[in-house]
Amino acid sequence: MASVEIKDLQKSFGDVETLHGISFSIPDGAFVALVGPSGCGKSTILRLIAGLEEITSGEVLIDGRVINEEESKNRNIAMVFQNYALYPHMTVAQNMGFSLRLLKKSKSEIDQAVRDAAEILGIGELLSRYPKQLSGGQRQRVAMGRAIVRQPQVFLFDEPLSNLDAKLRVQMRAELKSLHRRLGTTTIYVTHDQIEAMTMADIVVVMREGRVEQAGRPLDIYDNPANQFIAGFIGSPAMNFLPVSTQMGSAELVFADGQTLAVAKYTNLAGSYTLGMRPEHLRSNNDTRGLQTTIESIEQTGSETLLQATLAGQPITILLRERFNVEFGEILPVTVDQAVLELFDIENGARIDVPNH
Amino acid sequence: MPSNTRRRRVNALIDIGLMAICILLLMPLLLLIANGFKTPEEMLTWPPTLLPREPTLDNFHKVFTETLLLRWIFNSLAFAILSTIAIVATSALAGYIIGKFPFRTVNVIFVLFLATAIIPFEVYMIPLYFQVKALGALNSIGGLLIGYLVMSFGIFLIRQNVITSIPDELLEAARIDGAGEFWIFRYIALPLLKGPLAALAVLAFFQAWTTFAWPIIVMTRKTSFTIEVGLANFQSAYTVELSLLSAASAAVMVPSVLAFVLLRRHFVEGIAASGMKE
Repeated sequence: MASVEIKDLQKSFGDVETLHGISFSIPDGAFVALVGPSGCGKSTILRLIAGLEEITSGEVLIDGRVINEEESKNRNIAMVFQNYALYPHMTVAQNMGFSLRLLKKSKSEIDQAVRDAAEILGIGELLSRYPKQLSGGQRQRVAMGRAIVRQPQVFLFDEPLSNLDAKLRVQMRAELKSLHRRLGTTTIYVTHDQIEAMTMADIVVVMREGRVEQAGRPLDIYDNPANQFIAGFIGSPAMNFLPVSTQMGSAELVFADGQTLAVAKYTNLAGSYTLGMRPEHLRSNNDTRGLQTTIESIEQTGSETLLQATLAGQPITILLRERFNVEFGEILPVTVDQAVLELFDIENGARIDVPNH
Repeated sequence: MPSNTRRRRVNALIDIGLMAICILLLMPLLLLIANGFKTPEEMLTWPPTLLPREPTLDNFHKVFTETLLLRWIFNSLAFAILSTIAIVATSALAGYIIGKFPFRTVNVIFVLFLATAIIPFEVYMIPLYFQVKALGALNSIGGLLIGYLVMSFGIFLIRQNVITSIPDELLEAARIDGAGEFWIFRYIALPLLKGPLAALAVLAFFQAWTTFAWPIIVMTRKTSFTIEVGLANFQSAYTVELSLLSAASAAVMVPSVLAFVLLRRHFVEGIAASGMKE
């Protein structure tokens, strides 16, 4: 186990700078998810930590030791790749024991370590099979087994679940999480799926275009997104954004079609903003004073109802935690809790904080 | 079902046509083998017989005892095997490095390798001969091997297979696991290239086994002839003893047919399938 610290990390490929000074630190034993849209540089960070790419500038520290110049094999890390990278010509046992064989451990030691890891992952009966004889989920487990066999200080996961089907992904998510709880090894997990990040990680680092946008506990980020990008990225279905304007001294936010919404905390603001409302915060309680939305489509999942509607000419999503009967084209008034609304700067997307609130 | 029977009839016709072509293609080979068992008189009868009327092993006995055929076969085998080993080794190394470490200089070298394939061997055969002569390597397997150590097509074939069938992640996983670069080549890359390397081995073996022009200028002493040169020598030295030549040719086919049969599966796999996606 070890802490990991990333200091002002930069990476350029030729003239193209893909990471523009990344800094964050990971406490010993934490599960950190790097999340962001594709091309944001999250996998590059992982590869820099693993030593698979050269660091352009900045430092990576594991347990307080700068490892920039160390070879991958001396960094005491293990990595699980998206396509698992199992050696096709080796059996499961040989795959898992590969790193120990390179460390010149005795055969009995290797066998013991492989059996232990296989037992933890429930793949004991697969040890003599070849990768091509395994299902996707089994390969995934073998790849994890290969990582845990050598008891590294840090686990690196590069989108390990994205090749699995939806049901298996949910199951493996839980297994990975419980594995982490059991082993307590510092884990860095790269994903583009914010649900994976939210459900598994102790700390989520949200990235965009080679920069860290926000880092923190999952629910803190969900409740207090630093800007409109994060607000839209974290949470599913995504937050609704609507242009509004307000005047100094008035608590009313005015929508494009003239509808208003009174929010006391924004009394001392003036100008145009983007209003953010999470779909699950919208309610329909037949209060006709609510915001008038026009229903465009209805999706019933049994446990909840997802409505696509328009408000002031803008599309919005409404998520109701109950069964709900409504017709296409119907006007549905909705209300929203003032406390959970967010306003964002219309220019740079930054969240508007109101001090006297 | 009239359409069904008609289809069956068409299929039968196609089969017969294909069989006829097969027999036509095989005929010279079969005749050659048959001639090896014929007496000199029967060889010259018209029409030629496919099955010898009085099969005899005299021809084989004669070529093996009265000529240097065994020696030539040995020379050819030694040359072909050494050339195959060299070509497989150089192609595996060079193809792997060009496929997985594509630096600019490496790419330039690869283009140069390919460029050598454009120049026919005959163009530089004579200058090469003088160099081999200067080295004092005439009439030796060593001298023969110069020019048959590297095959640019082999490097190209292995490079293509490396690129399509060995994902980078495998090598990266091995690096993280603690493997050195040569270790990765030996224990990860080579086993995965078994198919294409076997295919290349067949190609290289036949190339060396059947080559004629280079051995005939480098090997001037009769004892150092390769089999191809030796067979050509039959015509002048033994005033075209057709039955002897046939017997020698038939005997010579054995190793090459054997090599192909043994490596056939790998050969087809290696040439046809360049990817090993699961």
